[in-house]
Amino acid sequence: MAELHKIIASVKDALGVGARSNSHDAAASAPVPVAQSAHRAALASTFARELEAVGGKFLGILTPDEVTNRIVTLAGEIGAKTVALGQGAVSDMDAIGEALERADFRIVRTIPVADTERAAMRERVANADIGIADADFAIASTGTVAVVSNGDRPSSLTLLPPASLVIVQIDRVMANLAAVLAELGPEGVAANRLTLITGPSRTADIEKRIVLGVHGPKSIHVIVVWPRDD
Amino acid sequence: MAEIPKARDFFESSRAAVSDHELRRKLESASARHLDHFAEVKAEFPAYDDERDAAHRIKTGAIAHLDELLIELKSKLEARGCKVFFAEDAAEARGYIVELAKGRGAKNVVKGKSMTTEEIELNGALERAGIDAVETDLGEYIVQLRGERPSHIITPAIHLSKEDIGQLFTDKFGIEYTAEPEKLTAEARSRLRTIFLNADFGVTGVNFAIAETGTLVIVENEGNGRLSSTMPETFVAVMGIEKVIPRLEDLSHFLEILARTATGQKLTTYTSFITGPRREGDLDGPREMHVVILDNGRSAMIADPVIREALNCIRCGACLNVCPIYRRIGGHAYRSVYPGPIGSIISPNLFGSAAGYLPFASTLCGACKDICPVKIDIPRILLHLRWKESAGEHRLKWPRAIERARRGARRFAKMARHPRTVRALGKLAAMVLKPFAHNGYLRRIPGPFGNWTKYRDFPRPRPHQRPAPGPERPPG
Amino acid sequence: MTEVQLFSTCLAEEFFPEVNDAAATVLERLRLKVTPVRGAFCCGQVAFNEGFRDEALDLSRRFLNSVEPGIPIVVPSGSCTSMLKIFYGDLLADDPALSAKAMAIRPWVFELSQFIVNVLKVKYIGARYERAVAYHPSCHLMRELGVRDEPMTLLSAVAGIRIRELRDREECCGFGGMFSVKFPHISASMLEDKLARIRESGAEVVVANDCGCLMQIGGGLSRAGDKIEVRHLAEVLAARQG
Repeated sequence: MAELHKIIASVKDALGVGARSNSHDAAASAPVPVAQSAHRAALASTFARELEAVGGKFLGILTPDEVTNRIVTLAGEIGAKTVALGQGAVSDMDAIGEALERADFRIVRTIPVADTERAAMRERVANADIGIADADFAIASTGTVAVVSNGDRPSSLTLLPPASLVIVQIDRVMANLAAVLAELGPEGVAANRLTLITGPSRTADIEKRIVLGVHGPKSIHVIVVWPRDD
Repeated sequence: MAEIPKARDFFESSRAAVSDHELRRKLESASARHLDHFAEVKAEFPAYDDERDAAHRIKTGAIAHLDELLIELKSKLEARGCKVFFAEDAAEARGYIVELAKGRGAKNVVKGKSMTTEEIELNGALERAGIDAVETDLGEYIVQLRGERPSHIITPAIHLSKEDIGQLFTDKFGIEYTAEPEKLTAEARSRLRTIFLNADFGVTGVNFAIAETGTLVIVENEGNGRLSSTMPETFVAVMGIEKVIPRLEDLSHFLEILARTATGQKLTTYTSFITGPRREGDLDGPREMHVVILDNGRSAMIADPVIREALNCIRCGACLNVCPIYRRIGGHAYRSVYPGPIGSIISPNLFGSAAGYLPFASTLCGACKDICPVKIDIPRILLHLRWKESAGEHRLKWPRAIERARRGARRFAKMARHPRTVRALGKLAAMVLKPFAHNGYLRRIPGPFGNWTKYRDFPRPRPHQRPAPGPERPPG
Repeated sequence: MTEVQLFSTCLAEEFFPEVNDAAATVLERLRLKVTPVRGAFCCGQVAFNEGFRDEALDLSRRFLNSVEPGIPIVVPSGSCTSMLKIFYGDLLADDPALSAKAMAIRPWVFELSQFIVNVLKVKYIGARYERAVAYHPSCHLMRELGVRDEPMTLLSAVAGIRIRELRDREECCGFGGMFSVKFPHISASMLEDKLARIRESGAEVVVANDCGCLMQIGGGLSRAGDKIEVRHLAEVLAARQG
């Protein structure tokens, strides 16, 4: 069985042969600067354009009061019967869930689970027609949403159902990837599983033709929401 | 066990491949699409070259401090609850994973796309232990069904047409024949979804490992990486030692260029940041997480300051798409897990000197170096490997015609040390061959370079001296 | 009169002697005294590319002793220029004396079009060439030396010339030195595509800056019985009438 020290020793030996080049302190360079002056709405509109360029659907910049209605409408538009949702980071998922139920949609609420319930819960999420989750950030330059998953907002919500709806606060729309990683910081990234999602699941494995919805959702819808006090 | 490639096999397989026009059509159309997309995303991203420089600098720095970074990575991974196993070679890595799978009573192993697990030939080892491992990346799934290996780092089934795949699905699943990519994909999705929901053991590769946080970053488009790393109770990530980068803030430089060069996207659909197994109350994520960190010849590559640069590779596959040779012979003809220009560097270093013929299978045109997102000077490293091969004790066994050509080149070089003699011989050759020439060309030439006239004419030698251009400089 | 050293290269000397004549003529018209480098026959690239370092080393020593720093060394080949300027650095890394010599001549070595356009700052040479011409850029010229526009700059300033666009012109012709005889099937497949592009360009003449490409493309055209000719850039620049 190999030991770390053996490999480290052979790496060390190897490094000893050729001189070390620049140190990695000097190597790291600053992230691309964020355009501070850019207006939120301008970033949100860049985000919308890029999201649509990768095949995502932008549902608009809405007030918190409009969000619930838009979700109920969307669920109808895509012909959903069952909607999966967890706890919101900012959205009021209880209210959304109630509104969906009033409109006769079945609801699957994800909650922190014990080991024995895991498979059953996943099955229910997988059988839902759309999963709803809050994102922590969005990236304007690439049309990406960044979702930190945890017990309240499991990764399954954005992965198993054939459609995905993600809600992001307008002040969380950042110019680029470097800005989002800088905002999250090492602790934020390491806190739990983080997933950057850029458009629907896709493949180009058959003759380089793009097909959507391989293992993940075939469609992704994003709502950008104004803060309540704006 | 790893196939030991031979120069003769390559010669034969490449010869068969260049006359396969259907293969050529598939490779050309796939490459052209890729290069078009790449040109578009590059044009609208002015920072591309700056990001390339940054990525090159960070990787070079990381390799130069690899010993420290690996120690840091190990301790951070362990602090996050991962088990870390350093494997010196493929056999150790295979052994660890197979034993683990047996120990956990694994029945359904799912695999996300990973060239490193191809390198260690994990599927075969699991199979021999009676454990089924299913490739879940669509392209990998297809080649696994055909009992083949991937022919491209990024697009494993690039050598197959949609009709080939349609026929495959009909044969394997008994479904009605269709060549529509949408329908074929939907079929694969539904079959694999069932497998995913019942999977108990998942294996994926790793694109980047962040030493600072102990985070593994996996980049993909389909969701197979997300599912393989979240559904099973046991998850194993396999990575080469060179995948480590120092800090989180280094990462964006790589992500900004990787998808652009690999697939012509700005960012891949999914970028997963995995830091340890699932936390209390989580629905998703494995109960236990193992990280296998593989050397398998990589530390020996570090020892050579020229070859070391090849460890900067982020496996984008772009050098395959621009390579005029890859585009003619396809991945399988290389007879190595890693094909194309970068494969011609990696393979002899990971799989031994028998693959030493690969660096010679290049015109050194440099298209690969131009497109490489981390600026690896591939032709220069190929030259270096040619030199090492020719100077080595374990000389390659070349097919006879190649051996003769090489000896001929060597004789010419020895002769060229004496300009007067070689010029006299040149004149003699010109005289002797003149009667055989037609419009300045020879239809056939004898000797070590005779292979030339199999496919084209050879210019007639006709040295002459320009009348009195001035006094000659005497040789020193 | 200012002097330049002209290195013929082995391929030009043996198979395309008019290339050297033409290069000398062009340089003389630019009021330079041309001294041929007669003490060396080959830069050593063929040996170096095959991994025969000892032989390459001998040839590099021979070359370095046959030229003088301080006087431009002009080479009618992108490939040989790359060898002298770039790969000598790797070849001679373990020989401090030769390495120093190589470093000393490095800034004085130029490919022909690079020298005319970037050093002499000349575009117009007074050439006349009344043919339809397609330009094939050689790989080392473009990707090792970064000489991409210079040959076209010179060709565009030739009177009477009709430039034809060559599709996918940056694709390698498949020569690759010994590659062409070691893996002739792959090399020929690359050549076949290059010839197809040349034919569809409508050119009467294919121009390149490297005799390796001229051998490959010319040999392919000859085998196909094609009337299209190959010419080195120097020959076009030296031409005075169609």
